Amino acid sequence: MSDPIVVFDSITKSYDGINTVLHGLDLTIERGEFVTLLGPSGSGKTTTLMILAGFEDPSGGTISLDGRLLNHVPAHQRGIGVVFQNYALFPHMSVAGNLSFPLEMQGIGRAERDQRIKAALDMVKLGPLGERRPSELSGGQQQRVALARALVFQPKLVLMDEPLGALDKQLREHMQIEIKHIHEQLGVTLVYVTHDQSEALTMSDRVAVFNHGRIQQLASPATIYEEPANAFVASFIGENNRLVGTIATRDATYCRMALEDGTQIEARLTGDLAIGSKAVLSLRPERVMVGDSGPNANTFNARIEELIYFGDHTKLRLSLGGSSGFMARTSFKDGLRDLQRGASIPVSWSRDCGRVLPFMEQE
Amino acid sequence: MGTASIPLSRQRPSTGRLLLYAVTGVLLVFLVAPIAVVFPLSLSAGELLVLPTPGYSWRWYADFFNSQRWLLATYNSFVVGILTTLIATTLGTLAAIGLYLGRFRGKALILALLSLPMVTPVIVTAIALYFSLSAVGLGSTLTGLVLAHTVLSVPYVLLTVLASLQAFDPNLLRAAASLGANPVQSFYRVVLPLITPAVATGALFAFATSFDELIVALFIASPDQFTLPRQMYAGIREFLSPTIAAAAVLIILLSVFLLMINEAIRKHAIRHILPPTDRMP
Amino acid sequence: MMTRRNLLAAALIAPLLLLVFVSFIVPLGATLYRAVEDAEISTILPKTTALLEQWNGEGVPSEQTYLSLMNELREAQEQQKAGPVLNRLNFEETGLRSMLLQGLRASGQFSGSYKQNLIALNPRWGDPHFWGLVKRSTGPWTPLYFLRSVDLKLGPNGAVVPTADEEAVFIKLFIRTFEISLVVTLICAVLAYPMAYTLSILPQAWTNIGIMLVLIPFWTSILVRTTAWFIILQREGPINALLLSLHLVEQPVTMIFTRFAVYLAMVHVLLPFAILPLYSVMKGIKPDYMRAAASLGAPGWRRFLRIYLPLSMPGVASGALMVFMLSVGFYITPALVGGSGDQMISYFIAFFTNTSVNWGIAAALAALLMGMTGILVAIAWLLVPGFRSGGVRV
Repeated sequence: MSDPIVVFDSITKSYDGINTVLHGLDLTIERGEFVTLLGPSGSGKTTTLMILAGFEDPSGGTISLDGRLLNHVPAHQRGIGVVFQNYALFPHMSVAGNLSFPLEMQGIGRAERDQRIKAALDMVKLGPLGERRPSELSGGQQQRVALARALVFQPKLVLMDEPLGALDKQLREHMQIEIKHIHEQLGVTLVYVTHDQSEALTMSDRVAVFNHGRIQQLASPATIYEEPANAFVASFIGENNRLVGTIATRDATYCRMALEDGTQIEARLTGDLAIGSKAVLSLRPERVMVGDSGPNANTFNARIEELIYFGDHTKLRLSLGGSSGFMARTSFKDGLRDLQRGASIPVSWSRDCGRVLPFMEQE
Repeated sequence: MGTASIPLSRQRPSTGRLLLYAVTGVLLVFLVAPIAVVFPLSLSAGELLVLPTPGYSWRWYADFFNSQRWLLATYNSFVVGILTTLIATTLGTLAAIGLYLGRFRGKALILALLSLPMVTPVIVTAIALYFSLSAVGLGSTLTGLVLAHTVLSVPYVLLTVLASLQAFDPNLLRAAASLGANPVQSFYRVVLPLITPAVATGALFAFATSFDELIVALFIASPDQFTLPRQMYAGIREFLSPTIAAAAVLIILLSVFLLMINEAIRKHAIRHILPPTDRMP
Repeated sequence: MMTRRNLLAAALIAPLLLLVFVSFIVPLGATLYRAVEDAEISTILPKTTALLEQWNGEGVPSEQTYLSLMNELREAQEQQKAGPVLNRLNFEETGLRSMLLQGLRASGQFSGSYKQNLIALNPRWGDPHFWGLVKRSTGPWTPLYFLRSVDLKLGPNGAVVPTADEEAVFIKLFIRTFEISLVVTLICAVLAYPMAYTLSILPQAWTNIGIMLVLIPFWTSILVRTTAWFIILQREGPINALLLSLHLVEQPVTMIFTRFAVYLAMVHVLLPFAILPLYSVMKGIKPDYMRAAASLGAPGWRRFLRIYLPLSMPGVASGALMVFMLSVGFYITPALVGGSGDQMISYFIAFFTNTSVNWGIAAALAALLMGMTGILVAIAWLLVPGFRSGGVRV
């Protein structure tokens, strides 16, 4: 079942010998997989990609591709396609010239080159634009050329470094789906770097969340969202309510956490937390039911501090458990139209929706 | 785009603005008129440089092209100019690439040393070369003149090419490597085409610098090595004949020709070579 | 990996560095060294130099010294090498050349003591001060040329004193050079500012034409442009012809070989150097700043003074420094259209190199000129952003 194509083994990286960018990174990527490296800037995700592409040397550890040690293989012998953030299209060559470049490097004959260039252009829906210069194309078209160029020489592995960062929102969402389709079509292994969590969740098979040079969690998008491994992942992915308290009682799966004002909340336990230790409750705003309470373990009365109207939903800022920044998200269906600032309203959520995580000092 | 005016309302230009246009127009005439005036003078049928001319003729051009001294000077200017351009462009481009690639201390010092001839007053360079070229037996030779002109013009090549390398997107080299190009292929297929306009501009500057240079030639050229400017200077000092005006016109035409080539290179570079992101509205 | 890269870089830089070193840095160094070098006497008159070494400076030197000076000088003259010695000593004190030549001519008939004969010929031969000057000239170094180029000299007792009024020409020369450069720079700045501004606000098509009209003189050689002025400003030239035909003047006006001609031609040559940096700075000033100032209630002139002028200052500074730097080293233009009172430092460097051969003074003036230019470059380098990448053709 398992068929690893890329294996990072204890990779460390420091540019100046003092500050470490990557701390012993272990990462295995399966063949045909779409893996996203997600994290804030400076978290080490781009460095990881640069090391894999061969543009940077690791300071320690080994990295292999298809079982072959890559450490001393120069970038041009790795056969890895790369899509750059600013596309890095050769400005002095036509679109077809850009696509032809890797094929010429491989010594492929004219006829086959032309045929593969045409196929690649068709794939990214740029069929008739082969003779244009990159400077004559729109941003979205340039992005497609960059994509086609990284794929045209049929690499086993394609890396993308924030490839959609320069596009506007609509185009970006459109391209996300297109890249996903191309990935499914070609079955190529794809490593994608982004700081945009929704992009990571939409596109990937697995997401590696980076922070401070370490992978915080490596899992499927649903797991990352629903079961964050730690407080950083919980707060970095999606919107999140964070309530700090101490563990009052616990069993194997659930616990009751006491907030500072004495309110007790029942929630699922993540990690080994002893009774009395400091912990953080993480709760998605959309899991909070507003108004009609239902048979939930956690039901409270909250005061509405602010209503923020979004059209398809409304966000409520509530006072609850001693905090006035508790967010809940609701749609207007159940006759909640006349909610008013200052009113008191019942809110509730299932104990399976809240997750209690170890408290981390750095936050 | 990029104007400093404030079109708060669409009005006729104000008096102030009209005055500004007038001043600018007069000054542009001041810049070009002395150059333009040489043209009718060179076509004079008379012996004196006066306007209006007593009639028009090509006689002074005929005089130029029949004069051993002017032809020799023209020949010398082209020989020295072309050799200077070849050497300065080759060495300047190589050094610029070296300075771009190098990761060592003292790069700024080397760059300063190599650019020193550009900021040194030409008279100082001229007497320095006068003393030393005659000391090694290269005074009064074309070789000496080529060496001197190369040193004077090489900073322009170096700085122009270096600037274009520094504007170069390093991701292009990474892209080339990821697509399978080794460093040599990257250089020939990506770096060289992209710095070619800068190299060409540098070469034009080098040629123009050599072709226009007088002060060094004044010190180290004897009549057999006279270049066009040197011959012209001698002519002015001896006898101001309209042949000098004819020579001036020919030099002006060559300068304008070089300027046109340079503009064409610039336009081509803007259209084809600049990274697309720089041209997005 | 790192070293291989640097090795390649060094290999690429080396040929040019070598060329510039051999055919610029070394000649420049050797030339500037001439400003302090003092080797003529000690190399051409070695025995005399050695004998003077032993002389304690009291009274007159030995008979042997007189004899050796005459013999070595005669020998040098036969080999046509006496010139530098005579020049060197005459530079120490005017009149020494003729005194030495007189002695040399008479020495053929000398019988008996050279010392007595020479002193009989000219009492100065017995003056310890004269021998002091000779001894002082045996080198190896002398501050004399630098002192002279700022109108100072060494007095009899070695103290620094001002030179005689008729020889004190250099301070005046420096002042004149600065004055001309400053006036040219000011005129250029004042003319270039409105011009560059107009070019920056005109519709693109007009701007292109305007810039072309600035670039044509920029690319045309300085000699050709100076020659044009030389022709135009003649007594019989086009301007006088025009003035006469319009009956604005009765007699042709003298314009050539005047300070006016120097200013006119220099401004013409240097104006593009002021316009181009100003234009590129002004082109980059976004109209939004001026609109913002207007929306904040600033009237036109205050918008200009508080917003536009400060924003365009880097262009003014870089253009003015460039013009001043080039002006200070000007040679051809004043030499052709100026009178004898309009010549600048460069002219005298050429003069002392070629016409009145005194290479020490030429080198000292060259060193001072380089020093001044160096200071200006340093100022520009430190103060003007973009100067380093300016790359303007001189």
